[in-house]
Amino acid sequence: MQTDLLCSLIPLFPLIGFAINGLGFRKVPASLVGPISSAAALASFAVSLMLFSGFSGQPVKATLFDWISVGSLHINFSFQIDQLSLLMLLIVTGVGSLIHIYSIGYMKHDEGFGKFMAFLNLFLFFMLLLVTGSNYVIMFIGWEGVGLCSYLLIGFWNKNVNYNNAARKAFVMNRIGDLGFLLGIFLLITTFGSVEYTDIFEQATRFAVGDKMILAITLLLFVGAMGKSAQIPLYTWLPDAMAGPTPVSALIHAATMVTAGIYMIVRSNVLYTLSPVTLEVIGVIAIATAILAASIGLLQNDIKKVLAYSTVSQLGYMFLGLSVAAYSSGMFHVITHAFFKALLFLGAGSVIHAMSDEQDIRNMGGLRKHLPLTFITFLLGTIAIAGIPPFAGFFSKDEILAHVFLHNKALWGLGLVGSAMTSFYMFRLLFLTFFGEFRGTEAQRHHLHESPATMTLPLIVLAVLSVAGGLLNLPGGGWLSHFMEPLFAGSAQVSPEAFGHEIDHSTEYMLMGISTAVAIGSAIAAYVVYISRHAVPAPESAERSGIAKLVYNKYFVDELYEIAIVRPIRALGDALYNFGEFIIDGIVNGVAWIVRAASAQLRLLQSGSIGFYVFAMVFSIAVIVIVRFFVRF
Amino acid sequence: MLPIILLSVFGIVLLFMGFLKSKVLLLPATLVFILAALATTFMDWGKTYLYFQNMLLTNNLAILFTTIVLLSAFMVVALSNSFIEDEQAQPAEYYALLLFSLVGAIMMISFENLIMLFVGVEILSVAMYVLAGSDKHSPRSNEAALKYFLMGAFATGIMLFGIALLYGATGTFVVSGIKSYVYTNAYGVSLLLYMGIILLLIGMLFKVSAAPFHFWTPDVYDGTPGLFTAFMSTVVKTAGFAALFRVLSVSFVGVYSFWWGTLAALTCLTLLIGNVTAVYQTSFKRMMAYSSISHAGYLLIGLTALGTQTKQALVFYSLAYSLATISAFGVLLVVSRQRQDTNGVNENFDAFNGLARQNPLLGFVMAVSMLSLAGIPLTAGFWGKFMIFTTAADKGIYWILVFAVLMSTVGIYYYFRVIIAMYFREGAAEPVKVAPFYRYVLIAATILTLVLGLAPGLLEGLV
Repeated sequence: MQTDLLCSLIPLFPLIGFAINGLGFRKVPASLVGPISSAAALASFAVSLMLFSGFSGQPVKATLFDWISVGSLHINFSFQIDQLSLLMLLIVTGVGSLIHIYSIGYMKHDEGFGKFMAFLNLFLFFMLLLVTGSNYVIMFIGWEGVGLCSYLLIGFWNKNVNYNNAARKAFVMNRIGDLGFLLGIFLLITTFGSVEYTDIFEQATRFAVGDKMILAITLLLFVGAMGKSAQIPLYTWLPDAMAGPTPVSALIHAATMVTAGIYMIVRSNVLYTLSPVTLEVIGVIAIATAILAASIGLLQNDIKKVLAYSTVSQLGYMFLGLSVAAYSSGMFHVITHAFFKALLFLGAGSVIHAMSDEQDIRNMGGLRKHLPLTFITFLLGTIAIAGIPPFAGFFSKDEILAHVFLHNKALWGLGLVGSAMTSFYMFRLLFLTFFGEFRGTEAQRHHLHESPATMTLPLIVLAVLSVAGGLLNLPGGGWLSHFMEPLFAGSAQVSPEAFGHEIDHSTEYMLMGISTAVAIGSAIAAYVVYISRHAVPAPESAERSGIAKLVYNKYFVDELYEIAIVRPIRALGDALYNFGEFIIDGIVNGVAWIVRAASAQLRLLQSGSIGFYVFAMVFSIAVIVIVRFFVRF
Repeated sequence: MLPIILLSVFGIVLLFMGFLKSKVLLLPATLVFILAALATTFMDWGKTYLYFQNMLLTNNLAILFTTIVLLSAFMVVALSNSFIEDEQAQPAEYYALLLFSLVGAIMMISFENLIMLFVGVEILSVAMYVLAGSDKHSPRSNEAALKYFLMGAFATGIMLFGIALLYGATGTFVVSGIKSYVYTNAYGVSLLLYMGIILLLIGMLFKVSAAPFHFWTPDVYDGTPGLFTAFMSTVVKTAGFAALFRVLSVSFVGVYSFWWGTLAALTCLTLLIGNVTAVYQTSFKRMMAYSSISHAGYLLIGLTALGTQTKQALVFYSLAYSLATISAFGVLLVVSRQRQDTNGVNENFDAFNGLARQNPLLGFVMAVSMLSLAGIPLTAGFWGKFMIFTTAADKGIYWILVFAVLMSTVGIYYYFRVIIAMYFREGAAEPVKVAPFYRYVLIAATILTLVLGLAPGLLEGLV
């Protein structure tokens, strides 16, 4: 009973926050907006902590009410608290709270501050529904809701047409994924007759590995994950999504929403273990995404774009882990990534704040003297993501790579290449931003300042987490993998061979050594290029040749989509429009005309004369009786 | 059966309160009385009781219908604050009549003996005849009262004739007695029974304004003061359908094959006439009259496709319909009073022009209510229609389903006219004012409509 209450409180707090700030937009005083929304997030975090500390190891289900009943299908509005939802809860509410606090400093002077905080709260609400729901339909509500909030927040500065286009692009691409997810849910309903996790996974253990239906379901669900978690071919919206305010990029497009796809697959791990083909597909897409995005990141000059491509690439790593059934490693990377990527984005936000909204790293440089706190935390974040021990990113990425190594050496090799690129583009970013000479305008130099405490405090907390996050799951059976083990009982039952692999210690140390060497090597390479030789990327107008041009222009993927997909659809739309204009509209208007004409006639029956009314009644009774008793049919 | 006794006593108490100089107490007192009746209704929850020598029977279904009726009455009374200011009005009598009519409604909902059905219908109707003419100085109101009375008396005669024939055929007035007669004589029921069923049905269909016995509806709804129109179109209809359901599902379920075809034909006729005629109306109130005919059609689908899902569908639909109708009339009352034209109150569509800008709350309440009546998702009306249509699909009567869906698209046309007027038309600039309590009632009805639209399962398991 108490858990029931707590479960419903978690999403309720942000919803209340949203209601207050949203309905009271422009009425709630600006000084209260921040505290209200942050308090809502912190309250959810506190409740999540309570649930976590009181967790017995047994999943708890809290049913609020019977939501929809259609035939034999019953959909409950219910929450499920287990290891996975607890982890996600802590990340979402914990990192979420920090980012809410950060936003107070970052967005305070914005005209739409109240609206912004309201949207953040709304996002939190939907994200919490997504991770705590006990069935796919609740997950879907959250899934759609976070998509909506992402759209609203990317296009938050809606006076800028480009930002609106970015928001629309994100929405459309996510819709494509959502369609897959939705079809997956329909297939789940036809196959299992339920959408409840517990029902489905219990039934699924009776399926054989490689079942066709499960294959279809898992592929469709993965299409949904591709959209939300920005994998090839649906990744191009995420870099564009950087149009939103930076706290949004940190919260939605780095730490929480984009990991929803990974959450979904870990949640459905039984189904995925049953379908090795899907896992292969995921593996190929994941490694391709990881490397493609990392390579684009190498030449980007916008501080947030680099981080965005880095996010796409890191998400690829998470899926890579899932593809070799290393579900807990994938989740581990979700957690550490949430720490360091949120940190990096917030750090970038602090830089942008100081640079008067400048985002081009070619115009930065030497900022470490002016923004010492931001610099130190950003440095820690960079080391963490680059995979240098003993920081958080090292352990999580290494664990994924170790599992991949056992599974497929070629994939591991490619993963290592991506890892080298990661380290290079991150240190490039760091060096160009914080080292060397200041390259901005005089006005910008004059304005340089460290950010207020509401912004630096979250940075410090996240930096500590990025440094120490690895402790969660040290190599050789850490706490996290032990904690998450019950989640994979079903998977282990249907396919024991997918799990049994134990990596031996010498191999493990060797792999660690190699990845560390690669990361440090790349960092040194970046040092040589950007510190020793003072290289600065060429300006926009410069001629680029061959591969550099290709990579700088992001492999022309957007242009390719434009030609191959957008234009044909537009043409089709035009054609259908013309068709609809004459034929469909003609039919519709014709029917409407008939109805109106009939209405005009029927209206005349209503003469107002009682004599006629009584006559009509008697006549009708007579007709009914005659038809009923004397006409045989 | 405490509510029947309580409401009768309260009605008399209200008449005495009418002697007091101050009218201020009447409204709160009536609200308290209705709440008290509602509370006592639930004393029988979960049990089945026969009362007054097997005259009345209460069960959960009856309690739910009673709740809907009392809730509707509560909201209608809560919206009646204008009587206090009106010099001509006699609120004590109005409220007393409303309470008496509720007694009739509850009898119609929980009768076990056809005599009680008849008595209930009469108690309800006589009160309504008077209330229809309560605006004594308006010729339209007088006309409405007289028309309603004449037509109603006629229909009552037919119904009584039907009951008499049923008695002749079965030798009993008791609903379950007729049922056992039908079952024991499954192969040779008397022709009188069939004739009785038809005539009883016709009498009841008149009360719920199904075609072709609907002719009184537009004229009476139009002439009756708006508040009592709201009462008529919710309480009378709900009680009528509860009675129809009881008699069809208990007594006549054994001869389903006899009556369902007739009912199906009348259902379609009702849907057609209600929806299509509503399109051409210029008066919002007349449109609501035709809308109430069309909703009778939807509810009749549930009876035509009588099955295990029917009662739940009827309860949900009645509730959704009552909430939406009362909020619509609530908004109409305020708007028509504050935007008078040369003919007095303006109850046409153009009275709503630009309402969303001058009073966003009223605009929203009205929009939700129209969406719910049109059956758009996220409102209770959608799930009501969905459940009704499910009964037809379960029974395999697909043609009626297709027809009903087509007709409900026609419905969108006239419901959206109001929304278009409110949101896209320019209107008078002066703001529309609403009293606080009035506003709370409208907000509550709207929230309930939305909550039921989001979580229809809340009512599940009650029936």
